[in-house]
Amino acid sequence: MKKAALWMTLLVLVFTGCSGGSSSGKNLSEDTTAQKNLPVLGENVKFDPNILINDGKPIEVEFWIWDAEEIFQEIIDGFEEIYPNVSIKLVKQPWQDYWTKLPLALQNGSGPALFAIHNSQHENLINYLEPYDIDVEDLKADFTGVEGHVIDGKVHYIDYGMMTGSIFYNKDLWQDAGLTEADIPETWDEFTSVARKLTKTDGKGYITQAGFNYNQDVKSIIMGLNYQKGQMMFGEDQRTINMDNPITVENMQFLIDLYEKHEVGSKDFGINDSESFGQGQSAMVYKWGWFYNALVNDYPDINFGVFAMPAPSGQVPFAYDRYNGESTMGISATNSSADKELAQAFIRYFMSNDQAMKDLCLLYSVFPAKKSLVENDEVKNHPVMKTLAPCVDRLIWPGPFPGIIETQMQQTFEEIIYNGADINAAVRAGNESIMEDMKGSEFVSTERRYKYINEL
Amino acid sequence: MIKKRIQSLLLHLILIFLVVLTITPFVWMLLSSFKTNAEINAIQSSFLPREFTFSNYSSVQSRFNFLRYFFNSLLVTLSVTALVAYTSTLTGYVLEKNRFRGRNAVFTLVLATMMIPWFVTIIPKYSIMLKLGWLNMYSALIVPAALSGFGIFMMKQALASLPNEMLEAGRMDGASEWYILHRIVFPMSRNAIASIVIFQFLWSWEDYLWPFLVINSESKQVLAVGLRLFSGRYSTDYGGLFAAAAISILPVILIYSLFQKQFIDGLAASSVKG
Repeated sequence: MKKAALWMTLLVLVFTGCSGGSSSGKNLSEDTTAQKNLPVLGENVKFDPNILINDGKPIEVEFWIWDAEEIFQEIIDGFEEIYPNVSIKLVKQPWQDYWTKLPLALQNGSGPALFAIHNSQHENLINYLEPYDIDVEDLKADFTGVEGHVIDGKVHYIDYGMMTGSIFYNKDLWQDAGLTEADIPETWDEFTSVARKLTKTDGKGYITQAGFNYNQDVKSIIMGLNYQKGQMMFGEDQRTINMDNPITVENMQFLIDLYEKHEVGSKDFGINDSESFGQGQSAMVYKWGWFYNALVNDYPDINFGVFAMPAPSGQVPFAYDRYNGESTMGISATNSSADKELAQAFIRYFMSNDQAMKDLCLLYSVFPAKKSLVENDEVKNHPVMKTLAPCVDRLIWPGPFPGIIETQMQQTFEEIIYNGADINAAVRAGNESIMEDMKGSEFVSTERRYKYINEL
Repeated sequence: MIKKRIQSLLLHLILIFLVVLTITPFVWMLLSSFKTNAEINAIQSSFLPREFTFSNYSSVQSRFNFLRYFFNSLLVTLSVTALVAYTSTLTGYVLEKNRFRGRNAVFTLVLATMMIPWFVTIIPKYSIMLKLGWLNMYSALIVPAALSGFGIFMMKQALASLPNEMLEAGRMDGASEWYILHRIVFPMSRNAIASIVIFQFLWSWEDYLWPFLVINSESKQVLAVGLRLFSGRYSTDYGGLFAAAAISILPVILIYSLFQKQFIDGLAASSVKG
């Protein structure tokens, strides 16, 4: 009986004592002074700290992220310093299932007031997003790429930076092959020639050092190559996927030729080009901005450099590559009005905070969307940004297309490379699969808003 | 004699091969927890660490509150395991040793719960937790797991071998059904209960998606969710993950060691209807 009583006590404790929501454990005090004599921040999007939030009464909200906790915590600390009655609790969630948990929590109002967003989940989240209480014209004055996010005259998030691809190269292997900075290729023909010089094989003809390795990123390269040749990702209606076209086939053949004809790499040379580059076994890889810090942190011994995507010819191409925006945070539409008021103030604080924006841009090596940061020395001297700066004008954003498109494309291209599927047939089948998956999607591409669209 | 020895030798060789095959991934993970990420990712990797490092273990706590998550997992898993062991024995006893109308229908219903894929029930379960106001509470992890179709099935099978005469003798001596359950059925079903304890402990300890969905607060989160934090959007900290996983399996090994004998006997007993 005693044992049973003990168990019952334990269970009662579990069910009752541990109830309620999460708390930061911070001692919050009432804020009685609206006029804090603090300067108003920002140029066009302004943040006036001289207000009371939640009428000065204590308020706690959660902010969900999957990464960059130190940077976000710094932003939160700055905000909480102004408002002693406010606590924003940063909760890090695993990236893989973030997109399962977040909509579920938002749907029933038990979610966070603020949360990190990836635009590939736009359709999954848009119904739960509260529009920003910021004038769109003010946003346009401070940020580039706002137009693509406007829905009924409002935005629910925008980009704080633009991420795109570059070629990362191993400087030591480059030097070993007798190459210099002058050999950095500007065209794909030059690139192929350099890649051949960087390739090493053993006595049996097996590759021991790949000149170029794309064993993970085929879809991204093809999307970029297609844009270079003026092949848009979506049809005239801006909704129908257009992967099944001669340009895709041509570009796929180019990548296969790099391995099979020019022998600068191999589909069997490991499945992960990032790790292969990190191990010093591949001399060049195509990667997006995030790779810079991944290399610095995970492979500190690799001496690497970055150069821009080569072009089909020596001329400026129609576009250099595709880019995708790294999004600012979302505000939950299903939380209380007090939570929303706090979240709106926090967004303004974040948007007018150049330091925070810059730190986030540098973390992922994304080109800042905030105009005031473009000329910032730290940004200008960053190796990836320096490479992107001359090309950034000629990058195309297809819009926040559903993630399934990238997944299907990667599967299609891997089917060709690894299983030897016929290019035309595989591309056609892949296109049909995407169209099937996109049924019911309301996505409309923004790629025809590209500045140089008339050059087509 | 020689033929028998050769047969025995062959059998042992096969068993050794299977043991090596089974434990190699575990040993590799354990050894890799002492390697740097660069060494783990190396294409020409070695089984033993070239350079031993304890940094993966020392940095586990800095990535998330490992100890807190560990004890949360322990609390939830022990509660669920104890409840499942109790409710399975209770229900198994009722279904096997008591005759009442609809008994077979109830048992069929219990079996049917085992046929439904678990992910189908996630959304309705989540809605129920929300209605009950149990989101972000341990009760959301413990109560829905307190009844196990598998446990009931297993205990019903195991109790079939318990002689009815023994229960009848108890009743004739004036013992109540509760008394019989606690003083006769439980002690005599130790082996089967041990099997359920091991299975249930393992399942609860590893359960990831449900705790991830219903628990928001970091102070209440469980270890299986914490382990996912080693996998970022672009890369995975394998060294940290292996170190945390190596520590996290200790309770499972401990439970198995404690109940190993009863587990094997229990499995054998529940597979034969007496």
